[in-house]
Amino acid sequence: MGDYVWFHDVSWHASYAIYFFVIGILAGLSFLSYGSWITPALRPLREKAAYISLGLLAVGGLLLIADLSQPMRFLNTLNPAYLNFSSPLAWGALNIVAFGIVSVLYILELKKGQDSARGKLLAMIAALLALGLPIYTGYDLTVHQSRPIWNTPIMPVLFVALAIASGSAAGSLLAGGNAEAQKVLREYMLWSTAGVGVALISILGTTNYGGSASELTFMVLTSGTMGTIFVGGGILLGTAAPVAILFLAHLRQQATAAMLMLAALLILLGSAALRYALLMGPQQLQTLY
Amino acid sequence: MSEELRVSSIETRGAAGKKRYAMVVDTRRCIGCMACQVACKAEYDTPLGVNRTWVPYKVVGKYPTVKKQFLPRLCNHCDDPPCVRNCPVDATYKVEDGGFVLQRYERCIGCRSCMAACPYNARFMLPAHRTYSKITRVVDKCTFCFHRVTQNMVPACVQTCVGRSRVFGDINDPNSEVSYLIARNATQVLRPEEGTKPQVYYIGADRNATEFGRDAYSKPEVMEPERSAFKRHFNI
Ligand code: SF4
Ligand code: SF4
Repeated sequence: MGDYVWFHDVSWHASYAIYFFVIGILAGLSFLSYGSWITPALRPLREKAAYISLGLLAVGGLLLIADLSQPMRFLNTLNPAYLNFSSPLAWGALNIVAFGIVSVLYILELKKGQDSARGKLLAMIAALLALGLPIYTGYDLTVHQSRPIWNTPIMPVLFVALAIASGSAAGSLLAGGNAEAQKVLREYMLWSTAGVGVALISILGTTNYGGSASELTFMVLTSGTMGTIFVGGGILLGTAAPVAILFLAHLRQQATAAMLMLAALLILLGSAALRYALLMGPQQLQTLY
Repeated sequence: MSEELRVSSIETRGAAGKKRYAMVVDTRRCIGCMACQVACKAEYDTPLGVNRTWVPYKVVGKYPTVKKQFLPRLCNHCDDPPCVRNCPVDATYKVEDGGFVLQRYERCIGCRSCMAACPYNARFMLPAHRTYSKITRVVDKCTFCFHRVTQNMVPACVQTCVGRSRVFGDINDPNSEVSYLIARNATQVLRPEEGTKPQVYYIGADRNATEFGRDAYSKPEVMEPERSAFKRHFNI
């Protein structure tokens, strides 16, 4: 006879992980669009990155709204009489809206077809607001003091690194045969993915050697289906493998198109797997408390 | 409960001129009849699959030295509630005089941030369809029977408790029964390390019942049908 416990559902489902993934890519692309004003090699990506970034914002926004059990009440998050500034979600809602507005203004400026000082300024503001997106999503997890893994200071840093990695990977796929741009992007991919790896090592350490809830969460994350997704998809295929490929390219100072495409695809796969595992894994244990 | 222990401004234990309701659960007196769970269901027409209060048990020991341990559970009406801090639209809030943590159903957007923030699983999403209530698709939880307590009655679970295991009252009143029980007995709150200052005090609770056990990782097979039935019903 089993002990009697009441089963609780997880609070946040997989759609939230997809939202994290989308928001990471759009933030990364926004950085690239601003980067094109400073690094001439990235110039061909400027417009494409800005358009796709705005498009992904629409996708992410819709995902977020659809995930609410009262979707039409999403406007409550913008009502100054309701806003609770101790909640990261309130800041997130404002950040998303501000990013959307600045992105539209930036694209309107890009449409004029000339390199203006205002265009550069708008690109910078858009990139700064885009930086807020992975920070707030990471912070959104960090504040939950009872959840192992989420409640580590590294979460916003990891999400920023993942945003740079997945944005650069998307940029690399967009850049195609442009060798100059690929040279810059492969370095971005390498060092941001290496940063993701370092953050994962610290997460694994603090979790495996933490209290009983942390230890059990470590077990959930490193075994069974979740283990396959987190360790197999996220760490080995999505982080270690692209770092190895890109480091080889870095040492040789050259890379074939196939190598770059493989690394970019692996980074995107890894960042999706990591988002899913890091969101769902730490919620499993609590469903039985 | 001394005033010096308060850390943040939201806490009202020991605050002069304010009530701070709390519950004491004497687990030595709980017989596991689950009458409280039924009384709560009757009071609020809580839907199938979710509960405002529930009574899990664990069988501890090895035959013939075995014991069933009951741990009545509910929202702890934390003095420093992370659910309130995390709600983006102030749909969940703390009543300063009394310490009730309540919901504004008409404002809740259903982001489930509060559910993620609560270390005790005290919150749940209401399903899309209910027979007697129009309150659906928002987060709900125990209210410490705000509507009864403000009419000088005790919560439904306390009134019905056969073993008189559950006792309710104002811990800011040194003469209340809860103050007496807390002063005279060793008490324990759930997961105190989370800093939530829970206001449900357990007498005689055992670590087997209050801590995460290894069975939380390797779920017994026997529970799976119930677990998946719950998920099917959840519908949101
Ligand atoms: S037990 Fe959970 S729902 Fe209740 S006040 Fe504490 S954190 Fe909030
Ligand atoms: S689900 Fe409702 S009560 Fe909970 S945090 Fe979101 S808006 Fe607030």
